[in-house]
Amino acid sequence: MADLLTHLLVPYMLLTAASWRVDWVDQRWVVVGMGGAAIPDLVKVGIVVDRRIVEALLGVPFTYMPLSTLGGVLLLAGIIAVAFERRHWRPVFGLVTFGGLTSLLLDGMRVYADGRASAWLYPFTNWRPPTPSLYVSSDPTVLVVALLTAGTVAVLDRRMRARN
Amino acid sequence: MRVWVRVGIVLVLCLTLGGLFVHAEMTEDKRSPYPDAADLSTGYESYVGQQLMVFGTVTETGDSEMEINVESDGAAITLRVTGTKTAVEPGGVVQVYGTVEPGGTIAAERVEVVNSSRWAEFYKYGASAVGALGFLLLFFRYWRIDRETWTLEARDG
Repeated sequence: MADLLTHLLVPYMLLTAASWRVDWVDQRWVVVGMGGAAIPDLVKVGIVVDRRIVEALLGVPFTYMPLSTLGGVLLLAGIIAVAFERRHWRPVFGLVTFGGLTSLLLDGMRVYADGRASAWLYPFTNWRPPTPSLYVSSDPTVLVVALLTAGTVAVLDRRMRARN
Repeated sequence: MRVWVRVGIVLVLCLTLGGLFVHAEMTEDKRSPYPDAADLSTGYESYVGQQLMVFGTVTETGDSEMEINVESDGAAITLRVTGTKTAVEPGGVVQVYGTVEPGGTIAAERVEVVNSSRWAEFYKYGASAVGALGFLLLFFRYWRIDRETWTLEARDG
């Protein structure tokens, strides 16, 4: 997957641009959407607690893989939404899911040697969508492009808000 | 909304997620048709002629071949990858797609460099750590925890 910083910057750009047109989307909501983008990266918890340790403790097969799938994003978006006040549940769920989807789509475009991305639509399907193989996860170009675009969006955002 | 209702909802969602963690592992073969290191180290010969995709750490590089170490679930196997001219240092990580041949050899159809050296891995985790820290600072600039209702509330109301 792309690094977490790139994942966070993509919904920042898209939601900031959306905030120019949609009144209720302001910076605090942009930040909530960015949080959703971190969900698929939670799969890296496996570096800290190996899945085999969990498997041995629970006595059942176990993998963290669903965290970086649509099912994991939807369930965690629900859990995160409930942490907010009741009146915020709907926008939080929508924005967190949106952020998570941007990360899944971005990861779905990285290089796979057999030309197919991971089954990120699980559990709705086991199908592995084709990938355009645009980048590898350690390619700094991806982060540089994301930083430059996010910087441009930040400057434009400041101007838009100064005008209003 | 009462705290116990929220706790109940979170519990149901967590249990569903837990169910997915188990279900995904039980049905893993449906999404990954290729043998992994554990499969190869127990019955290599039965996979000869089959297609394979593995992630491996490069241990040696040659003119048109390299040696990679593939690990999964505590099992490890060393494979020789032929038919590749890829710029990667030992310690780097590659994806290999190809055909399983006798004697621990993979005839590569496509090799992609994931990390060209150990430094690429450090870079990735460094950028992620900066992202995580920046996000937490930003989030708590706009949101706070209300200790009476145990909910997240906007700082400006």
